[in-house]
Amino acid sequence: MKRTLLPRLAIISLASAFVLSAIPARTARRPRYGGTLRVEIGPAMSSLDPAVGAANPEDAAAKEQLDALVYDHRNADGAWAGDVGSGAFRVTAWEAGKRASLAANDDYHGGRPFVDSIEIGLGRSARERLLDLELNKTDFAEIAPEQARIAADRGVRISRSQPDELLALVFPIAGDGKDDVRVREAIARAVDRAAIVNFILQKEGEPAGGLLPQWSSGTAFLFSTAADARGAKEIWSQIAGSPRLVLGYDSADSLEKSVAERVVVNAREAGISLALKNTAMGAPTDMRLMRLRMASREPRLALAGFLERLAPMTGIDEASLSNAASPQEIYDRERAIVESYRVIPLVWLPQVYGLSARVRDWKVPAAGENWPLADIWLEEAP
Amino acid sequence: MTFRTKLFWIFTLAMLFAVGLIAAGVTIVTRQAFDELNRQHSDALIAQFQKEFARRQEDVVHRVRGIAEEESTTRMAVALNLPKGDASVYVNDASGVSRSHQLDLLDFVSNDGSIISSAEWPARFGYKLDWITRPEDWATVGPFLMKMDTAEGPALGLMSVAKVPVADKSIYVVGGERLGKEFLASLVLPAGMRALLYLNLDPSFQSANLIQTSDEAVDAERFAPLVEKERRQPGEQTAKIDWTADAASAEVFHALPLQGRQRDLLGVLLVGSSQRDAVTLERRILWLALGVVALGLLIGLLMSWWAAARVTRPVRKLAEGAHKVAEGNWSARVDVRSGGEIGQLARAFNQMTDQLVDQRERLVQAERVAAWREVARRLAHELKNPLFPLQTTVENLQRAKERHPDEFEEVFRESTGILLAEIENLKKIVGRFSDFAKMPRPELLPVSLNEVVRAVVKLFEAQFGAVGRPPITPELHLEEDLPVIQADSTLLTRAVENLVLNAMDAMPAGGVIMFRTTSEEEGAEVHLEISDTGTGLTPEECERLFTPYYTTKLHGTGLGLAIVQSVVSDHGGRISVESETGVGTSFHVHLPLKPPPHPRPVNFPATLEENEAADVTPAAEEEKKEA
Repeated sequence: MKRTLLPRLAIISLASAFVLSAIPARTARRPRYGGTLRVEIGPAMSSLDPAVGAANPEDAAAKEQLDALVYDHRNADGAWAGDVGSGAFRVTAWEAGKRASLAANDDYHGGRPFVDSIEIGLGRSARERLLDLELNKTDFAEIAPEQARIAADRGVRISRSQPDELLALVFPIAGDGKDDVRVREAIARAVDRAAIVNFILQKEGEPAGGLLPQWSSGTAFLFSTAADARGAKEIWSQIAGSPRLVLGYDSADSLEKSVAERVVVNAREAGISLALKNTAMGAPTDMRLMRLRMASREPRLALAGFLERLAPMTGIDEASLSNAASPQEIYDRERAIVESYRVIPLVWLPQVYGLSARVRDWKVPAAGENWPLADIWLEEAP
Repeated sequence: MTFRTKLFWIFTLAMLFAVGLIAAGVTIVTRQAFDELNRQHSDALIAQFQKEFARRQEDVVHRVRGIAEEESTTRMAVALNLPKGDASVYVNDASGVSRSHQLDLLDFVSNDGSIISSAEWPARFGYKLDWITRPEDWATVGPFLMKMDTAEGPALGLMSVAKVPVADKSIYVVGGERLGKEFLASLVLPAGMRALLYLNLDPSFQSANLIQTSDEAVDAERFAPLVEKERRQPGEQTAKIDWTADAASAEVFHALPLQGRQRDLLGVLLVGSSQRDAVTLERRILWLALGVVALGLLIGLLMSWWAAARVTRPVRKLAEGAHKVAEGNWSARVDVRSGGEIGQLARAFNQMTDQLVDQRERLVQAERVAAWREVARRLAHELKNPLFPLQTTVENLQRAKERHPDEFEEVFRESTGILLAEIENLKKIVGRFSDFAKMPRPELLPVSLNEVVRAVVKLFEAQFGAVGRPPITPELHLEEDLPVIQADSTLLTRAVENLVLNAMDAMPAGGVIMFRTTSEEEGAEVHLEISDTGTGLTPEECERLFTPYYTTKLHGTGLGLAIVQSVVSDHGGRISVESETGVGTSFHVHLPLKPPPHPRPVNFPATLEENEAADVTPAAEEEKKEA
């Protein structure tokens, strides 16, 4: 008994010493008011007005983040409302598509932000953002998941969210012979999700078999993510006429492009004839590669968000689950959608942020949450 | 066609043939020379291309080895040798390295053949290139052609492999240059040449697999036969393609097989050589030759004309002489001074005309004698009948005077009556001869031939139905609109009367005499036909019918139809006869509306004409005596 007590006492002593030694350091880093936070984002939006629509989902997402800084509440429709500047920050300068300057709103009901102002660079490419992070020319910027590894290797401070963005193949309703569940199943089996995560995403993210991530639903492991080229080939051989399919993707999105090309390679190995087409061209396609961001960390709400977006395209049952839906009901619904192969989940992507060393109290926003820029403070330059 | 024209054409055609033969020979020889020149040119260019291709191969080998020897590649190989070596880190490396080394195709391949990174198809990582792991000493393997899979589809690459040996696990650098549009564009080819590449990726010829440097539309199907030939039997092949109907658009293509390591045909390089310059030069030569030919032809034509004229001039003179002789000028002579056959011919011609004149004079003499004999015979025949009663009457008178003086008065009265009758008969005979000799010139006035016919018919009406002889029925078929002619109505009436008398004599048993007048289609003549249903004439009689003093009747003078012919001829007309024995005879008289100024000479035998001209005919003699 004594023999085991001594080591325990030693461990407790050491832990106490560590905690006591940390207290002075923590007190030395109390939040500080002041400073200008430098932010860079990719979209080059033209307006912050919630009534003005965004050109694409990326623009809409970025606008949502900025609107959350300058508006104080949402209306019944979920759109931001109130006067510009009623939020934590006021807009002091605006150059559409280029830059925006925000100043701390001293009268904000939630309390004045720590930083005095935010300088936002609009329309900055992923490469520019990464370089600026490396060169300490910006304090906060989004980083593409596939670049997180390189950024970390280059010494950039990285922050990752839980994987909350689903990259999936979506099959719109088709009136021709291609609208065959075996076609969709063959493709679902052919795709090598692990290779996409390991090589294209550089191990950032997870293979996706279901519509909800493991960390959210806890049932994702029940969906298979393994590639089955032989099974795909067998199914494809049963389809008469061997239809030639077209996969649409957004060529402006380098990740989508890489994943789409990989899907084509996988499909070809299974004998499936698949061609790529840029959806920006507006041409009809048999399937589309889409990014689906979770609206909430709650499985039911996240699934409802996906359904709201996918149902009109794919014809899957849009009926939402009740508030009291059990995990089993959510799983069954998820399983039904997956097995219809109207939506083929590929990978889960995290949100990756690059931060400068002076940014303090950064908390990674959960799914459906906005960037907490009003809560961070900047360490004074040495 | 005249002899001169014939000769001219013979000379011309002979010259054309000769010139054409020479032109064709020059063209063929020129074409052969150009073909040989083109062949040498193409051979030189193909050799140049092969040299360029070899240089590019060496260049590819050099660049791939350079990548393999780079430190970063070595570090990659080392990292992958580590127990937890992660290949995903290098998944995008190939693209950057390929750009920096200007390689279209680049793959980093792991020891087990898996693609670590691919420049031409980045999404293909993880898949295996089985062929690279086969036991082979890549250090000794030179560049080779290979079909490579890319994101855009299969491509033909000029490839090289370099091995990066590190510990147990080597990696491979597979790099190369895509044989495509850029590769073709980088080839240095002289003007007038172009290179196309056919990628042999499908079992049969596909137009889409044909690559060319320019964006100019080309009918790829035209290459199909050459490519198919190359597929069946790889080797250097040549074919000419005419793009349009214009020969200058043609190109000669040399096909070079591009084979892989297994001697499989991966592509066909088509080196085309434009024929435009050659054709243009050939055309220039041809045009020059044509110009020379045209000039030669013109000169030849002129010379042919001159030569033909020179050769045919004596012949033409001979022809003119012969023509004069044919027209009656028997004294015509030909003045030809040339020697040879033509000269002999001319001399023979002149000799012949001399002989003809001589013989004609002798013939005229003979005919004149014969004519006089004929006239004498006719006169003797005509006069003999009246003379015999005269003689017997006079002898009766003498006998009555001597033997019966008392009856002399009565005999005298009877005899003198007979004598007077016979003398009157003699005067009539002489008068007829005199009338024929004194045929007057026609006095032309507007005359209706129909009226003439009707008048004659009316004159003879009594005789047609005379008592004691079989009746003759006249039938008139006269054209109402018959034009008026210029004629002497008296002479014309006399001629018609003679024809009617002739017809009546031919119908002793009666019959039908038919008169028909018509105008000729041209409107320049009128036609009178007088037909009878008499005994008819033999062909021999028809031939001699219009001969003066010829008659088939017992008491005819043989001058009636001769007078008719004389009248018709004096009016510039013509007369003909058709007859069939036992059926009847038809006389056809054609008279012009207006006689020519100088009517044709009466077609009397020359002897009589001359007799008349010489005024020594019996009638003239008698007239002289009467005068």
